[in-house]
Formats: sequence, C-alpha cells, structure tokens
Amino acid sequence: MTALRPLNVRRAPLPLFGKVFTDSWRGLLGWGLGLTAAAFLYLPLYPSISGGSGMQEVINSMPPEMIKTLNYGDIGTGAGYVQATLFGLIGFLLLTIAATSWGAGALGGDEEAGRLELTLAHGVTRVQVAAARFCAIAVKILALSALLFVVVLALNDSAQLELEIGNLLGTSLLFYGVSLLTASVALLGGALSGRRIGGIAAGAGVAVVGYVFNALGNQSASLEWLHSLSPYYWAFGNNPLSSGANVTTIVIFLGLSLLLAAAAAFALRQRDIGV
Amino acid sequence: MSHVAPAPPAGVRDGRDPSDAAIDVVDLVKQFGHNRALDGVTFQVPRGTVFGVIGPNGAGKTTIMRALLDIIRPTAGQATVLGTPSRNAGPELRRRIGYLPGELILEGRTSGRRLLQHYADISGPVAAGHVQELAERLTLDLDRPVRKLSKGNKQKLGIVQAFMHQPELLVLDEPTSGLDPLMQQEFLRMVREARDRGQTVFLSSHVISEIQQAADEVAILRDGRIVTINSVEELRASAIRHLRLVASGIRPADLAAALSGLDGVTTLNCTATLTGDAEAVATLSGEIAPFVQAISTLQLRDLVLEEPDLEESVLKLYSAPNSHSAVTK
Repeated sequence: MTALRPLNVRRAPLPLFGKVFTDSWRGLLGWGLGLTAAAFLYLPLYPSISGGSGMQEVINSMPPEMIKTLNYGDIGTGAGYVQATLFGLIGFLLLTIAATSWGAGALGGDEEAGRLELTLAHGVTRVQVAAARFCAIAVKILALSALLFVVVLALNDSAQLELEIGNLLGTSLLFYGVSLLTASVALLGGALSGRRIGGIAAGAGVAVVGYVFNALGNQSASLEWLHSLSPYYWAFGNNPLSSGANVTTIVIFLGLSLLLAAAAAFALRQRDIGV
Repeated sequence: MSHVAPAPPAGVRDGRDPSDAAIDVVDLVKQFGHNRALDGVTFQVPRGTVFGVIGPNGAGKTTIMRALLDIIRPTAGQATVLGTPSRNAGPELRRRIGYLPGELILEGRTSGRRLLQHYADISGPVAAGHVQELAERLTLDLDRPVRKLSKGNKQKLGIVQAFMHQPELLVLDEPTSGLDPLMQQEFLRMVREARDRGQTVFLSSHVISEIQQAADEVAILRDGRIVTINSVEELRASAIRHLRLVASGIRPADLAAALSGLDGVTTLNCTATLTGDAEAVATLSGEIAPFVQAISTLQLRDLVLEEPDLEESVLKLYSAPNSHSAVTK
C-alpha cells in the first residue's frame, strides 16, 4: 500500500439518475399495484351502474353543488365515469401523494436527513443532482401514467367504457402533466426550505388548491375565474376523455414543470446545505 | 499524483508560497443569523502534511470543512483548496478531495459495497481491489445492509468512502468518532501512510490525543477563532506535566517553600508521608530543566514526571478568555 495504483475507470452511466431507481423501485412497484388495483376495483362496476337507472337516480337526487364538486355530471357515460372515479379522483389522489412525496424527498428530504451533504461533497454539481433527481421522478410518474393508460385500455371492452384510444392517451398525458407539476412544485419547496415538509406543503398545497378551485369554479359563473388558477381544471376541465386532449395544455404542463425544476436547481445552488 | 512531498519540518510554514498550500484560508467569516460561526479564520496547510484542528463542539471545525467543500458559502474571506477557490468550485476539485462529514448519515437500505460503488461512480475512479483492502484493514463487512451496521462500522464505511479514490486532500471531520481504540490506531496508521504518499490530511477532533499522534501541526479553534497554531512539539513543550516527588530530611512546609517559588509550578500540595518523608504533588508547565536543577539539592526518594498532557493544556486554552492573542509561535 505504498504506491498509488492504476485506477479502475469502469463506472455506471448516469449514476445519480440510476441511484433513484435502485433506491425506490419497490416504492414504484407499490404505487403501480395500488393504481392497478384501483382501476380494477372501479372500472368493472361501470356496466352495472350505467345499465340500470338506479345509479342515475341516485345522482339526480344529489344536490347539484355536490355533483359538480365530484364531477359526477357525466357519470352515466364511460368517459365521464372513468374521469370521475379514476383520473379525477382516486388515481389523481394516488399520483398526487406519490409525486409530492418523491418531489419533497428528492432534495429537501435528502438534505434534512443529512445525506445530501456527502453526495454534494463528491464530484457532482448541485445542478446535476437536482436535474438527475427531477428526471428520475419524471420517469417514475411517466411509468405510472403509462401503466394507468394500459390498464384502462385493457378494461375498455370488458367494462363497456367505449373510450377512444386517442382520448385515453391524451388524458393519460394530461394526468402525467398535472402529476409532474405537483412533483416539481414539491421539488422546489424542498430545495428552497431544505426540509421535506417544505416540499410536501408546496406540492400538496398546489394539488389541493387546484382541486378546490376547480370545484368552486364549477359552482357558479361568478367563481369560474378560479378555473384559470387550477392545474386540475387545466388538465380535466374540458373532459379530455370524451372531447380529446389539448396538446398545448400538455406542453404547458411539461414546460412549467421544467421551469420549476430549473428554479429548484437554482435555489439549491445558492443555498448553504444542511444548516 | 506522482509527486511525493516529504513532510516539512514542523513549524516551517512561514515564507512558503501559499499558492503551493493544499489549503489556504484567509479571514474566513461565516455568519448564521446572529451567530458568528467563524470569525476571521486564517491558516495554511502545506501539501503532504497532516493538519489537525481541535476545539470544543461548536467552535467552528465543521463549518470550516463544509466551506472547503463548498457545502456552505462563507460570509466573507476566502478558502483556496488545491489551488482552486472553493466557492462554486466545480466537481473536478471535489474529485480530488476525500470528505468524511462529522455527522455521517448514510443511505441505509443498500449494502456498504453498493453504496461505495455509487460514490465511486460519481467521484472515482477507484483502484481495483482498493475498497476491499481498506475494508479488510478496518475489519468492515461490506455486504451487510448499511442500516444494520453499528455506529463504528458506519464510521468505517465513511472512512473507506473518503480514502478509496486516493484523493490529494482528505478532509476528515471527527474521523475516529465511534471507533474502538484498536481501529483508531489503524486509522492513524492510514493517515500517516497517506501523508507518506504525498496526500494532505486535514482532520478535526475534540480529543487531542489522536491529533497528537497523527498531526504535524495543530490549530486550536474556539468560538470561531483560531487560538493558536502550533506544531505538536511546540504544544508539547508548552504543555502541563503532572509531577510527584518524595524527599527525605525535609518538612512538608519547607518543601512547599522551596518549590512554590519556581516558575511553572502550580497546584502545589505538600504532605507528610507515613514514613516521615515529605511528598509534593504539583503540575509543571514550560521547561523542565530549571525545575530539575532546583530540586537537585533535595534528597529525593522518588520522582515521577508524567508525559505532558496536551489535553489539559489545550483545555486551558479553551477556557482562558481572550487567549486568542496570548499564545504566539
């Protein structure tokens, strides 16, 4: 051990990006199973709901404000049902939780736990770390959105949903966009505060406010302006499952997410870490 | 890293070109809110030496190290590491540094080997077999999940992580924390070997004994200021020794009178022994020659002059107010 020896230069490609998956593939699998289970729980019930008049009667007996809040207005159609139950409710909830938790944990949580310091002491820049972790989250959310697309498509016939594949694809991409936006906000919150809770508050805050603004905007014309502030409405307000998704909206979601991720990288670059 | 710089004689710092230093810190100030963690710290660490910084918790040791790694940004002043300003330094600089944080938190779900591979992937390259060799030296099992490792074993993993890519500069914050004494000795051997290969080591501790064994120079830090920078030899010379002597044919009061006037003798306590001799217990600081001369007229029956206790002399520096100007080289 007296002389320096030749160096082994074999290295993993994209180590920071890949590490996220070796650390969290179990979590990703869990979210995927949960999402699939939700789809298999809800969608096969559709024929029994649409077939009889019972469900429509129940819906009609509900206060109109409630119907609007829950987006149950079109629940009698396949597209309306999938939107109201899966993309707009349980799937949205699951992805919001996953995206918020990944976004908040990626920088803020890692810093709070005390691990980020050692990573940054190695041969990486903070921007690289932020970019790699954002990309990993983007891929994970894309995987879940793609999974949901595949599962819904697989159930389309048996559950008599009569969804158009193009509309389903567009809705899945909007679903991806709104979830990625939540993750990016959480990433920025964590990067700014250096705490996991900062990211959770930011990510969950934007998702919840978006949902509430959408619901309030549905109630009356005087509150409709709230729709413009609601990412949830941007994504699902125009019933993309029945009337098709707006490509511009998808691009806006991706662009905003990239902008927020860049802000997170910049915030991380400026700060003292772990103090 | 083909250059192998011999360790310069202790204390020969002045007149060296600071740009040649592994670490050159000038007037470093770091303010956290109202708390001034560093208050104008200046020092150089020559290449190929071991430089220790000691001080109580909260003195600013960790803050200095974090500033060197660009984990925190100083409020004022500047730190140059291996010829590059540390502020916003690129990854190339940090690849040449091995860092062990004071509060080592490691990812728990993976094995030690995989964790080290990850750090090698982002910082490396690492010589084939070197990780295994370091792990064997420290008797560390690399295949256990990190979360199941004891504090000492996690610390060993952190040490391997810092040493494995054979960096030009090692920045080690409380490296022996959690290690048992045998491992501490092994670690100190690794530090000496690193220096002999030309690597520079900058380490901190709140225990002087380990620094005393490994370091060429020691900076003492208190309340964000450097109290003194000394070679270990100089520190030893100024250190306190405990002494005990037994003389016959003299009464305790006379013995006390004879000794109390000597320079450097403090906490003197003279008593009569059961055999009728006089016993003196005291501490002695500074040169020992005058003391030995003074006691040569006594009929000594026993004399114990202990190894200097650096810990105690350093503690004295910690506690002495305004002593940052009291000790000079």
